[in-house]
Amino acid sequence: MTRKGLLKSIAAPLLLLLAWATIVPALAVPERYLPALGPILQNARAVSGELLASVAHTGWEAVLGFLLAIVFGVVWGILFAKVGWLERSLFPIFVALQTIPVVAFGAIVVIWFGNTLMAKVFISFFLAFFPIAVSTLHGMRMGDRQRIDLFRSFGASQAKVFRLVELPTALPAIMVGLKTGLSLALVGAIVGEWFGDTVGLGVMLLQALYVEDVLRVWVLIIATGLLGSLLYGLVSLCERKFVWWRIE
Amino acid sequence: MSRLASQAQVLLAIAGALIVWQLVVTVMHVPVFILPTPTLIASHVAGNIAQMLGHLGLTMAETVAGFAIGSLIGALLAILVMQVKPAEALIMPVAVAVSMVPTVAFVPLALIWFGVGMSSKVAIAALAVSFPVLINTLTGLRRPEQAHVNLYRSFGASSLAILWRLRLPAALPSLANGLRVGFARSTVVVIVTEMLGAYAGIGQVIYQATAQMDSTTVWAAVALSSMASLLLYALLVGVLRKTIWWN
Amino acid sequence: MSMMPAAPSGQPLIELVNLSKRFGEGANQVVAVKGVNMSLQKGEFVTLIGPSGSGKSTLFNMIAGLLPPDADGGIVFAGREQRHGELLGKVSFMPQRDLLLPWRTVLDNAIVALEVEGMRKKDARDKARALFAEFGLAGFEGKYPHELSGGMRQRVALMRTFLFERDLILLDEPFGALDALTRSLMQRWLLDIWAHHKRTVLFITHDIDEAIFMGDKVAVMSTRPGTIKYSENIDLPRPREAAVATTPAFSAIKKRLLAVVEEESLKSFEGSGK
Repeated sequence: MTRKGLLKSIAAPLLLLLAWATIVPALAVPERYLPALGPILQNARAVSGELLASVAHTGWEAVLGFLLAIVFGVVWGILFAKVGWLERSLFPIFVALQTIPVVAFGAIVVIWFGNTLMAKVFISFFLAFFPIAVSTLHGMRMGDRQRIDLFRSFGASQAKVFRLVELPTALPAIMVGLKTGLSLALVGAIVGEWFGDTVGLGVMLLQALYVEDVLRVWVLIIATGLLGSLLYGLVSLCERKFVWWRIE
Repeated sequence: MSRLASQAQVLLAIAGALIVWQLVVTVMHVPVFILPTPTLIASHVAGNIAQMLGHLGLTMAETVAGFAIGSLIGALLAILVMQVKPAEALIMPVAVAVSMVPTVAFVPLALIWFGVGMSSKVAIAALAVSFPVLINTLTGLRRPEQAHVNLYRSFGASSLAILWRLRLPAALPSLANGLRVGFARSTVVVIVTEMLGAYAGIGQVIYQATAQMDSTTVWAAVALSSMASLLLYALLVGVLRKTIWWN
Repeated sequence: MSMMPAAPSGQPLIELVNLSKRFGEGANQVVAVKGVNMSLQKGEFVTLIGPSGSGKSTLFNMIAGLLPPDADGGIVFAGREQRHGELLGKVSFMPQRDLLLPWRTVLDNAIVALEVEGMRKKDARDKARALFAEFGLAGFEGKYPHELSGGMRQRVALMRTFLFERDLILLDEPFGALDALTRSLMQRWLLDIWAHHKRTVLFITHDIDEAIFMGDKVAVMSTRPGTIKYSENIDLPRPREAAVATTPAFSAIKKRLLAVVEEESLKSFEGSGK
């Protein structure tokens, strides 16, 4: 990233924090709505141990689910692209499954697997799987017919054409799906924890809700946002390093 | 393949899946609490139809209300950012920061602020919808090239006129895209909120049924809410296609 | 229709026999190519003038093995009639667009055909590196396509085409997108390369001057249905110098070709081709 770009991306949240630290106390916004930055940080420090453990726990669930979703989602997307009758017969079911609300799916998974890590990972996986598969299919379809023909004229086998042309062409689209899938995986992890868990951002959110601790809720909102940004940033980094090209 | 033929194929695929489901569960004696048969689910829905529709109606009402409000807010903010230069520096950082937080993290806040009634669900849905609509509308508003804008300026058009005549029509396809994305998010998020706190609604039904290990009710609720949201989505897409046909 | 070649005579490298290609059925059928007969001797440089809509791309796709010819015609390559797909990998084909892979460096783009052949990447890279100076790309091995100008990308594509060591090279309007000055330089440079590497070249262009300047033999394709309407040998001395374009011999050839091409262009313009 260019110097200027880096500066710009830091400037915005920094400005926001500055505004929060100054404007909110100045306007004397009631704490019930928007507490000042000071008390929020204090509250965070008070539970820093538990907070960090929760971030790690929830983050880990989301990441596991996300990784599984990448493996299965990309493979399914490629299968859908290559095997016509598979796409025609299974894609409608795909779409139907996508409409199952996460809460409902979570409930069913919890009934099946109980309140285990596996259940949360499965929920994350389920949510992230669809956008990744769909964007993989979309990316595979962007293949430039002429480029593929050129390689066929070299005598390339189907496998070689796939490895050398089709897959790299699909990667930018797959990356877009990955980013969507990641945020959904995080949602899945949090909602999964609401069905019963002992550690996690979702758990802490629930606890804060029951005692109506607005300060704590804001701490958790910020913590969740930071976790989401961190994971998103990692994926963006991978994208910049490995999938930096664009397909016209 | 003709439109009718492909639609028929879709129905056939879904029917096929249901039949396979029924057979597998029956033949392998899968316990009800793991996976009920489609027929059992259907009869459960039929048996409690009035009650279930009541819950469903509430959930959908909250979804539609939140969707409408959120879309309006998103579109208005986009126009504001486009037309008023300082607004961008004020609004965008906040919007981006909020979007980095999964919407579900805001659910406890909404429940604390608005209570357990309908308004908390509507608020959360509005939040979920507003960002995609804002981003997509803004992208669309910015799409006309400077050369095109200059042409209108040479006709003597004011900034507002350019907005009305050039940018807004150009933005409609992107806006439509934002509406579709936003709708999908709003349905999910309302049910999640209901799960944490509500007097009624599909989310509550699912939550309570889970606590009682009543998987048939859970599946019944899932089936109904899926169908309802698919229907509403199809309605939305249909309306959009009729009005923004040049996309 | 074989000709007196400047190259050694004998069995032609490739023969197109009544080559045709029709798309669709019945009333909607489009006859892209019809009854093309042509043969190329080894080492010849043959240019083909084709107005737009003459089916020249379809013709090339058939020679490259990407499209099967209609059953009433065929392609004889190195003495054997080719069945569908047999030509794949036998001809070095360069389409109009450079089709470089944006995710690979210039060097790795040049070697793609060799990689497909099965050559080890290291060996392929060494082989390619040796040609960089000749193709005017020295120092650009590590750059990416988006960093290069149109002309340079075209040269990378040409390098890729020449590295794929096959007797026959098909070039589909390689200089079409270049400005006149660059094009003239590239033409002379390509002839040098051709003389050095001794391949057989079939070269499509819509530019009559280019066709005469480059070729041992020039053929003119008609509009749809595409067929060889006219062809003649070019007896201008080699190596071709820039000044040859203003000699009377050149003008005479040009006059004849213009007459044929004008007729076809008019037909295409008036939309009589189907």
